[in-house]
Amino acid sequence: MKLLTTSLSMAFFLCSITSIFAQEKSPVKFGKISPEEFNLSKYNFDTSVSAVVISDVGSSTFEGNNKGWFTLVFKHQKRIKILNKNGFEAANVEIPLYSDGTDEEKLDNLKAYTYNLENGNIIKTELESNAIFKDKLSKNLVNKKFTFPAVKEGSIIEYSYTVKSDFLFNLQPWTFQGDYPRIWSEYQASMPEFFVYVTLSQGYQPFHIKNESQGFCQYRVTVPGGVSTDEHYSLSGTTSDYRWVMKDVPSLKEEGFTSTLKNHIAKIEFQLSQYRFPNVPIKDIMGNWLTVNQKMLEREDFGLPINKSNNWLDDDMKPIVAGAVTNLEKAKNIYAFIRDNFTCTDYNDLYLNNPLKTVFKNKNGSVSDINLLLIAMLHHESIEAYPVILSTREHGFASDLYPLMNRFNYVIAEAKFNGSNVYLDASHPSLAFGRLPSECYNGYARVISKEPDVVDLSADSLREAKVTLVFIGNTEKGNIEGSFKTEPGYYESLSIREKIKAKGQAEFFKKIQSAYLSSLDITQPYIDSIKLPEQPLTIHYNFKMNDMGEDIIYFNPMMAEGYRNNFLKAAERKYPVEMPYTFDETYILTMEVPKNYTVEEIPKSAKVNFNGGEGYFEYMISKSEDQIQLRSRVIMKRTNFSSDEYNSLRDFFAYVVRKHSEQVVFKKKK
Amino acid sequence: MKNLNILLLIIFSVTCFNSHADDRNYAANKISAELLKNANVVKRFEEVKFEIINIGKAKLYHTVAITVLNEKGDKYVQYQQEYDKLHSIESIEGRLFDENGKKIKTLKKNDIQDLSGTSEASLADDNRVKQFNFYYKVYPYTVEYETEIKYNYTLFYPIWVPQEDEFYSVEYSKVSISCPSDIKFRYKTFNYPAQPVITDEKNNKVYSWEVKNLPAIEEEFASPYWFEITPVVSLAPVQFQVENYQGNMSTWQDFGKFVYALKDGRDQLPDNIKNVIHNITDGIADTRKKIEVLYDFFQKNTRYISIQLGIGGWQPFDAKYVASNRYGDCKALSNYMYSLLKEAGIKSFYTLVKAGVNSRFFMSDFPSSQFNHVILCVPVQKDTVWLECTSQTLPAGYLSSFTSDRNVLLVDENGGTLIRTPRYTLNQNLQVRKTVASIDSEGNLVADIITDYRALQQDNLHGLINGLSKDKVMEYLKNEIDLPNYDVVKFDYKEMKSALPVIKETLSVTANNYAQVSGSRLFVVPNLLSRSHNKLIANDTRKFDVQLNTEYKDIDSVEIKIPSGYQPEAMPPAMKIETKFGRYSSSVQVLADKIIYYRSMEQFRGRFPATAYNELVKFYEQIYKSDRSRVVLIKK
Repeated sequence: MKLLTTSLSMAFFLCSITSIFAQEKSPVKFGKISPEEFNLSKYNFDTSVSAVVISDVGSSTFEGNNKGWFTLVFKHQKRIKILNKNGFEAANVEIPLYSDGTDEEKLDNLKAYTYNLENGNIIKTELESNAIFKDKLSKNLVNKKFTFPAVKEGSIIEYSYTVKSDFLFNLQPWTFQGDYPRIWSEYQASMPEFFVYVTLSQGYQPFHIKNESQGFCQYRVTVPGGVSTDEHYSLSGTTSDYRWVMKDVPSLKEEGFTSTLKNHIAKIEFQLSQYRFPNVPIKDIMGNWLTVNQKMLEREDFGLPINKSNNWLDDDMKPIVAGAVTNLEKAKNIYAFIRDNFTCTDYNDLYLNNPLKTVFKNKNGSVSDINLLLIAMLHHESIEAYPVILSTREHGFASDLYPLMNRFNYVIAEAKFNGSNVYLDASHPSLAFGRLPSECYNGYARVISKEPDVVDLSADSLREAKVTLVFIGNTEKGNIEGSFKTEPGYYESLSIREKIKAKGQAEFFKKIQSAYLSSLDITQPYIDSIKLPEQPLTIHYNFKMNDMGEDIIYFNPMMAEGYRNNFLKAAERKYPVEMPYTFDETYILTMEVPKNYTVEEIPKSAKVNFNGGEGYFEYMISKSEDQIQLRSRVIMKRTNFSSDEYNSLRDFFAYVVRKHSEQVVFKKKK
Repeated sequence: MKNLNILLLIIFSVTCFNSHADDRNYAANKISAELLKNANVVKRFEEVKFEIINIGKAKLYHTVAITVLNEKGDKYVQYQQEYDKLHSIESIEGRLFDENGKKIKTLKKNDIQDLSGTSEASLADDNRVKQFNFYYKVYPYTVEYETEIKYNYTLFYPIWVPQEDEFYSVEYSKVSISCPSDIKFRYKTFNYPAQPVITDEKNNKVYSWEVKNLPAIEEEFASPYWFEITPVVSLAPVQFQVENYQGNMSTWQDFGKFVYALKDGRDQLPDNIKNVIHNITDGIADTRKKIEVLYDFFQKNTRYISIQLGIGGWQPFDAKYVASNRYGDCKALSNYMYSLLKEAGIKSFYTLVKAGVNSRFFMSDFPSSQFNHVILCVPVQKDTVWLECTSQTLPAGYLSSFTSDRNVLLVDENGGTLIRTPRYTLNQNLQVRKTVASIDSEGNLVADIITDYRALQQDNLHGLINGLSKDKVMEYLKNEIDLPNYDVVKFDYKEMKSALPVIKETLSVTANNYAQVSGSRLFVVPNLLSRSHNKLIANDTRKFDVQLNTEYKDIDSVEIKIPSGYQPEAMPPAMKIETKFGRYSSSVQVLADKIIYYRSMEQFRGRFPATAYNELVKFYEQIYKSDRSRVVLIKK
């Protein structure tokens, strides 16, 4: 490490950041506890929980190491009170440690104690070192695991440890919110001026304390000399010292229509942005989108191989594109070839794990392996195409401000045909050319090309249109029979295709049949285009209605297609509702009045708007002498709703559910 | 206990010496039409060879080739082999063949993943898994694996189940066991009428069994156990060894001696715990009461944590360890409770069981290691108290569906004895529900529902209310009740703990538009919460017997106050159905301003011939309909 300039100094002291702030402190001092602390009544938290984090305090500092560089020192102390048996899980602790083959993170000074109050006395039980276990999860990840001894209801447990890490990009993030409420959650970070980090915070919880101050620190760095003597340097500089505290943070519960709670929990994280050493030009580490884009293009496991000529494909390509004339036709053939012959083994990946040739030969790989191969094959046929990186909904939002690569987890392709863009993902076996999984519609995405570009993949741009037609009439034999035909929207079709692939068509129709409340025999069921992912799916069957001989027949004209339950169940909502797409569902029924019956009563027609037309529901029903006609339509033009809009959205769907349960009454002629 | 039935779960793994893959033709067009019918995969060839080296060591050679016909078959050719300190994988070979039987790929060592096999339920064990997949998608294709596994213990011999699943046909499969003349072994067969072929090979005797052309089976609703419908050969040792412990399993008594030796002397308690025991029990004369007091102390001071390394899969941590850490797995906790009882002068039995709601299949005439759990049996005059020691909440004396009604092995210094745990009968598994409700003219419902759940009927609820915090229970109730647009206003649970535990549930529920209003009519389903969800499709060609495993009785009474000015227009008829599968009755009346509804359902347990299946379909269909039938009220 030749960044460091001379100025050898013998002065060596630890840089402590805790002393800087003589302000309000965590209610807890590690290892010190009095019987009064078992009583939590002075604190404010939801008492129905099974454990409470009394204090959770972490800090990150830097120290010089003997590899000629710096080490991150993360200290963590946590005290939890276990209120009942369900809180025992809080006594099981895992500490993940990363290694890259040469360097590894090290766990030091792990101490853990259980305190029990017995007859007014505190009994302290210490974790023994032979009760700490190691579980090797992968080449790069080891979990250290332990559970507290002597835990029972009412125990207080606490632990502290230090993790030393040479991976400066791993400056530990801090989560202020978790499974249990937290009375005090605090994080401190002291960053020397040599390292510039960008700070990102999120969530809806206010900070109780948020401080920044300047400090001063000296670092001793040893450069190993190998055969010659080691060189010692002392480097001093100012530090930026931060302290963040949140108090009385409730736990956050996951409800339906949430892409991921990751977007909503109170959290702070850091990204290494620059090196700024004295007398050395500033070194940009994180870069900006332009530099990162350029680096991605130059990576051996990303941009380089897809932009080579890849002549090894020459022979294999011939049969694939045989017969195709236009670029679009060729692209469709290539897409279908990959989709139908390759297996995706990992839907979270950004780079190549193997050379393209190996991916091609093995016929499997991660989503990035598969879609980068797709791009290489398109390039081979001189079709303009670029990789697009994005973050799937479950993975949380990507950042548009900073080029934070760990916020991205997925690669798709953008191909251009006559000036228009088509987005492709060949990693899903039932997906159509030009369609993406709904998981990809999570906002910000980046096109990696010489002219970098941004794509907004918004769920609002997806529209699921479904049309269902039902005819019911009298047969010569006096039965009441009908036909049912539905064309589901694209994503529903996709899920039906996958269900049929897994369980078969017979099972699918069995489910349909058992969805009917009244007895009904299904005949001639068929589905169009199951194996043609490019075509829309059509489901068709005929049916015969049983039990229609009573004096009065009560009949729900929505059949089994109505909204039966409100999918927004919770009475309140603390974060946005995120739906996967907009939709427009039409249901049309034409029914002959059963022979020898008259229409005694029909539901009232109705139209309802939600939020100035963003949602719309109509239920139009009419009768004539011998016929009933119904049109129901439910439209939702937006996918994201803030928690303020929750109640009116819930009411809207509750109204739909209610109308859809209404009955037509037929009465036998006397 | 450790994965004692490890070999039942994984594709077992072994080889042949003499025949090689290249000799066999895996072309898909060689498969007969009979085997293709209803199949997702066809096992083309399998040879399992178990070679006993000495009492404590063995080797397993496994070769298997499977042709995959469609996507649903892919999962059978994923290679997955567990290993740990007691077995190691010596070699793995794998080959992929295309439709014509042409070899197109060979497994490379680097492609095998080596993963942790520790489940989330376990804090620490030495389970690891090797995993591999060819990920081929052009059907049909064939995958062949050859594996050699070294056994450094002999507690388990293989169980040969050539047909591993439904929709799975078998062209050829063979199992053989080879042992030196001084070592004996035992076997038990199912659906295999022939005798084994016995040959000599050097100094060893070799027994073998084989099957050819087993067509695919399709399981049906309430099919019998798998072992009852397909060929199986179960192998087991006479003498065996696990680390430094030797045992014999030719009788249950002998096997029990081995289990006892593993725990012998591990019952020493520290003095402070001994004092506590005497303090809390010395004044009590009644043994049953003493057991309850000790069990309560035990439950309040321990929790379940699984740490199983090496022999630790079978040997409990000693009582001192549990006393100081207050945790252990089923073996350690049962042994600890055993030690507490012993100190109080009460004899109990460390008891091995094959636990699991659907795990009652057991080879009682074939002593072998078929267990995966430990409980305690405490004989008391005229009665027996059973204790589940991994639960902090179950009442003393009650075994849930996890361990009730099955064979278990009691262990003491004299060895093992096989007995049965109690069966909970139809009248014991009782649910009694009383609903008092009212609806207004908008159809909105307000209801108070009081339900007593007893014995097996309370198992799920017991887990729920003890396993979830109050707000999570509320969340569960708000999501799981089968009513449209409802809200739970309040709820309460009271547990009456005894050998036949009862949970009393009190719910206050509102449901907007519960009754459907259409013009002048009001539609009310009087059965609010006790609706059957069983709906079967008739089958005229059913093959297997119908095996119904649960028995229970539900009694409901409902009273719904209706808005004034309405009178009945249509009423569901009273139902009374008696069948060999159960009894059902329901009736509804409108008296003054109230709907009065009664329902009674009894589900019998039993085995019925396949021909009876359509009657069962009809029985369930009638119940399904009756449970949803509506009272129609019309405004005067």
